[in-house]
Amino acid sequence: MSVIDRSLPPSSGPIGHFDFPSVERRRLSNGLDLRIALVPRLPVVSVRLFIRTGEAVLPADSAGLAALTAEALDGGTKKRTGRELADALESIGARFGASVGWEGTSVSLYCLADRLDEGLTLLAEAVTQPRFPSNEVERAQEQHMAGIRQRSMDPGSLASDVANSRYFADAVPYSRPLDGTLESLSSLTRTDLVGYADINYRPGNGGLIVVGDIEPSEVVDLAEKRLGAWVGSPSSGEHFSVEPDTRERRVLVVDRPGSVQSEIRVGHVGAGRSIPDYFPLSIANMVLGGTFSSRLNLNLRERNGFTYGVRSRFAFRSQAGPFEVSTAVGTEVTAAAVEEIIRELHGLVEQGPIGEEVTACRDFAAGVFGLQLETAGQIATRIAQLVVYGLPDSYFHEYRDAVRAVTTEAVTEAARQHLRPNEAQVVIVGDAKEVSGPLQDLGLGDLEVRSMKLQS
Amino acid sequence: MSALTIAIERYQLENGLKVVFSPDKTVPVAAVNLWYGVGSRNEPAGKTGFAHLFEHMMFQGSAHVPKNKHFELIEGVGGTLNASTWFDRTNYFDTVPSHDLELALWLESDRMGWMLPAMDQEKLDNQRDVVKNEKRQRYDNQPYGDWGERLQALIYPEGHPYYHTVIGSMEDLDAATLEDVASFFSTYYVPNNAVLTVAGDVDPDQALDLVQRYFGEIEPGDAIPPLPGDPDVEPRIGTTVRDQVISEVPLPRVIMAFRIPPYSSPDFAVAEVSRALLGMGRASRLYDGLVRERRIAKSVVSYVYPLLSGASMFLVWGTGYPETDIEELENAISEEIGGLVDAAQREVDRAIALTETDLVHTLERVAQRADLLSMFELYFDDPARLNTELDRLRDVTVEQIRSFSADMLGTDNRAVLTYEPKGRP
Repeated sequence: MSVIDRSLPPSSGPIGHFDFPSVERRRLSNGLDLRIALVPRLPVVSVRLFIRTGEAVLPADSAGLAALTAEALDGGTKKRTGRELADALESIGARFGASVGWEGTSVSLYCLADRLDEGLTLLAEAVTQPRFPSNEVERAQEQHMAGIRQRSMDPGSLASDVANSRYFADAVPYSRPLDGTLESLSSLTRTDLVGYADINYRPGNGGLIVVGDIEPSEVVDLAEKRLGAWVGSPSSGEHFSVEPDTRERRVLVVDRPGSVQSEIRVGHVGAGRSIPDYFPLSIANMVLGGTFSSRLNLNLRERNGFTYGVRSRFAFRSQAGPFEVSTAVGTEVTAAAVEEIIRELHGLVEQGPIGEEVTACRDFAAGVFGLQLETAGQIATRIAQLVVYGLPDSYFHEYRDAVRAVTTEAVTEAARQHLRPNEAQVVIVGDAKEVSGPLQDLGLGDLEVRSMKLQS
Repeated sequence: MSALTIAIERYQLENGLKVVFSPDKTVPVAAVNLWYGVGSRNEPAGKTGFAHLFEHMMFQGSAHVPKNKHFELIEGVGGTLNASTWFDRTNYFDTVPSHDLELALWLESDRMGWMLPAMDQEKLDNQRDVVKNEKRQRYDNQPYGDWGERLQALIYPEGHPYYHTVIGSMEDLDAATLEDVASFFSTYYVPNNAVLTVAGDVDPDQALDLVQRYFGEIEPGDAIPPLPGDPDVEPRIGTTVRDQVISEVPLPRVIMAFRIPPYSSPDFAVAEVSRALLGMGRASRLYDGLVRERRIAKSVVSYVYPLLSGASMFLVWGTGYPETDIEELENAISEEIGGLVDAAQREVDRAIALTETDLVHTLERVAQRADLLSMFELYFDDPARLNTELDRLRDVTVEQIRSFSADMLGTDNRAVLTYEPKGRP
């Protein structure tokens, strides 16, 4: 037996001082919103160039154009071929990439701080003088379409893509995969990419975020020098309203014969980033399925052993993204798992959080915030959110206080307001002949079985 | 950039536990990281997957910590935690606000010293189901999901510690008993088979007192038994071995692998730089040749496994397009590997530059710093190796890469595993 008293957990020591790094803000002559944070821990720098246009502005028949344009960006510049650009970046040890979301395009650079001038020069060249040679565009297009084929045969990705088409009405961009479809992609040409970049790769409403072991005044000069001559604003904004596909609860089984597991998605239209009850709703989601100790995970994994893990999330976007519970479970327990998920949703809506649940999740959210600000890239990502969602400069300085101020009543109300188990769309990718009967018996609503559509 | 100077202090408790501290006051974070010298290589026939199942059991409570309480307490202070099992080791890691360091030490010490009283059949059955679902989700229900299992069986002879996978077989998972849990615990989960690293916002003197308080009284175990399998193998496979799969995969894929010296060998650094020339970044040989230039691959991968027992693995793969001919893809990969006999210094410089950026990026997080320190302490008795890691790679010469590729990456030492979509014309 132990000689020290181990019966109770030790209490916390004194809390050290910690704050979000201070951010210097400038506007370049071309209107670009420049934000700089000096973080001198290690001699590195993380750069994000945020461009205000993403997939959400595109019509369905050119879905994927923003993503493809970003992927083809490394195909070369007016001065360099794609190979020369890659070689120039990697020879200074720079990591470069471009990614696309619904709200915008983010071009990122990560390198040692003493390479920032060279790195930013190359980033600026890639974004402001892209050449899109046809062989590189075709390469990116083939890669992108092959990626869509892979998603269509990966049961988890397939389940997510199908589920979005069940949550949102067809006219809502969020109903389709972020990467577009084989159909939309195959129709795109080099001309489309050149046109898209020419119109949308513009500094207006965008931001440049630079975080690391750098001198802010030097960064201002450097940014002005490399990007100051780049002008204009993207022409289009997001013009759609988010409507659900239906308010009827339905079940869809996508038949994947021989599956040893079922991928499960249960969800509906969620909430936008600007809702007033963002913090209470985030806590409600943590109670439900946002942590290991959440209700869903303790039920489906630790009590029933149905799954390796289950989570729930609200995808907060400029408009209402999906709310979704996702998991993969053994084929024979598929219906039982869906029943438990629906039960947990009802439980939280009808009874609200109990005991220490809100306190525990509040403490988790406030504490883990500080743990996730170690790297220059993590800090840059946070600052980029300020630009993307138009949040106040003080936002992350006040973040932990805002989290700690959330009350149980507010969480209860947010859960009632935003969780709608009676309208949930249930999507299963699994072996239909094994799972359809038991799912039908749950009586959740109309059940449809589809064969797995192979993207060819 | 100047040489790395990550602070490192080493201690050893009387019970054999090795302790490493790496103080860094610039973030309010403490990382507690434990490496146990046990992994799938220690599993005898009939018990594959057990080291990993056991890792799950470590979260099912200990004498003073009820089931799920470890997660609940760490998450409750805003911390994160997890564990992973690999061929040569099992690691456990808690990252907490630094004022909660003691909580993480209490939890980790309780399960190192007093795990068994909390074990019961219900917990074992529950976690067996969880692990079987992990296997289904990550392997059995995935396109290409069996590639690791197939590849290991090509590179290593039956009976070698790396012949079987970490996740193991369903039959062996089904056969695991509470007695297995008890004997595995007392054999391998002993302080003399573990490294504890604490990194971040900690004072080493205070931390050492806490470590002594919580871990000092845990009884040491016996010497660790020898590996059940035979790690000795020929340095080369001796021929080209093949496995051709036609299955429900979206795209053709060619996986090519070679038996190479273990992680402890001086030649391993040469393998690491060689693999970077081939597949690290978009100016690498495989990306430039197969993806950008010839457009017969959608993506390429290169990797070296840092394995300790007998021999390690050098791996490259290319994923083709729907119409890509498997043979053409295989030949193209072989050509790029063969081309390494002409490796140039500027390619090495590029690879080192990228590696340096990636390493500094890794070190931005104290949890990853702690993980590397634990590894270097457990594997090489030398955590300070972290600070000279780049020099080890910088010292690799083009001549070494040329002769390594000629000696070790040829057709007499090669495994080729191919996947082709079912029903393709």
